[in-house]
Amino acid sequence: MATTQERIANSPEERLPPRVVAWLFGVAGSAVALFAWTVLSRLLAHGGGVINRLPGPLAVVRELVQYAGKDLAHDLLASLHVFAIGWIVGAASAALLGLVLGRAKHLGNVFLPIVEAMRPVSSIAWVPLSIVWFGFGLTSKVFLVGLAVFLVVIVYAVDGSRRVPHDLERTATMLGMNGWQRFRSVVLPGTLSEVLIGSRVALMSGWGTVIVAELVAADSGLGAHLIGVEQSYDVPAVMATMICFAVTGFAMNAAFTFAERRLLPWRHDRERQDR
Amino acid sequence: MKRPAHVVMRRILLPLVGVGCVLGFWQATLSWYRLPPIVLPSPWAVATTLAELVRTVAFWRDVGVSLFEFVCGYLIGVVLGVGLGLLMGEWRHFRMAATPVVESLRFVVPFAWIPLTILWFGTSYVGKILLVAYAVFFVMVVSTTRAVAQVEPTLSRVGTMLGMNPWRLAWQVHLRAAAPTLASAARAAAAIGWIAVVAAEYIGASAGLGLMITNAATSLTTSVVIGGMIVIGIVGAGVSAAIGALSRASLDYR
Repeated sequence: MATTQERIANSPEERLPPRVVAWLFGVAGSAVALFAWTVLSRLLAHGGGVINRLPGPLAVVRELVQYAGKDLAHDLLASLHVFAIGWIVGAASAALLGLVLGRAKHLGNVFLPIVEAMRPVSSIAWVPLSIVWFGFGLTSKVFLVGLAVFLVVIVYAVDGSRRVPHDLERTATMLGMNGWQRFRSVVLPGTLSEVLIGSRVALMSGWGTVIVAELVAADSGLGAHLIGVEQSYDVPAVMATMICFAVTGFAMNAAFTFAERRLLPWRHDRERQDR
Repeated sequence: MKRPAHVVMRRILLPLVGVGCVLGFWQATLSWYRLPPIVLPSPWAVATTLAELVRTVAFWRDVGVSLFEFVCGYLIGVVLGVGLGLLMGEWRHFRMAATPVVESLRFVVPFAWIPLTILWFGTSYVGKILLVAYAVFFVMVVSTTRAVAQVEPTLSRVGTMLGMNPWRLAWQVHLRAAAPTLASAARAAAAIGWIAVVAAEYIGASAGLGLMITNAATSLTTSVVIGGMIVIGIVGAGVSAAIGALSRASLDYR
């Protein structure tokens, strides 16, 4: 009789908390993936053809350490500098314009279709034009990142300014608030919380735009380094730079998700489903 | 179907006013500052350039190459992404094992792969197709996993009670229940994949829309650059609309 009971109690699932089980499986999965990568790089090392230049994980890590000791901080700061300016400018202008177009009904009817028409032309398609207009310097990249962030955040800003619940507005009127007070204490907070979420969603598209802009312009930042090592056929260094991009994107996303959870705890659950 | 006057006004007339404002502002800026057409051609010049472009064979070849790369990559990415997502959604242990790998690769955005695809595959189609497939794959994996894992448990229990084996349950019940979510993910993935093609063509390609507009930018024929951007936008919106219509048609049984 006790056998089934015992078996259940002794299975690792039952003895360990679910978090630990998930963690163990995750580590195992990552180890398998790294092992497969290593084996693949060994197999391809002596083969012919195009893919014979696949370095193993160790070579990439070695390259990463070497890069970290030299120019990584400098390049990363250059990229982050572009990103931060563009992101702030884009999010701020989107918040402002979204608020105006969302609240002023007629203006919205006139100009929102234009914003909608611009959205399929992603910021990436603007890269050549931006280089014609602003050259290879900081301005053109800031413009591109700003545009990328703007096109994402404006949707959230318009949405947020319109989605203020009607009974909340009516309650505010009943409590004797005038138009400005209603705007300041009801509409504005609602819009800004949406803008904050939009700014987090825009992080990745802004960061992706930084990558493309730097790859095309190739004058400074991580993207320029990536093109440089590509042109010297240094595959391990290319992969190391890709990891730098990924880690930075991940860190920004994690920091923002954390901040959002602290600032807007009530939005967190819904956002997870939206995403 | 007769539409009330105010709907016509709101849907058609007011946006036209907006377009007029933008075009007027565009024309006014360049006449006021006397900008040379290298910096900003007039709206009319862009329109005539587009009309001329449409009549050339090279233009359609560029559109065709970009679309071909997109469609191949997109199909590969959707099939593999839904497949892996279904496995991850159904099989809890596999999900735990695969999640860290998928999540960390997801942050290596497709654009960062461009130089590597050029090293490995040169300027051929293969690199771009794989890049699009990669971009689409991760969007589909993440949303399929979530959608399948969130299927109403009652449905699974009904399926089990009716004697379905896990494979049939996954294929006929879970995947169908998740279909609406997958359809919207497929549209989002199309937008990302299309942009990945254009970006890849900037950096290394022998044909395609991205190459067309970078070449035009290098030779400072700005009207072709703007015309090309408009085409990229139209194709992107068209692809997205087509996928939307396809998914609506195939989800009709609801």
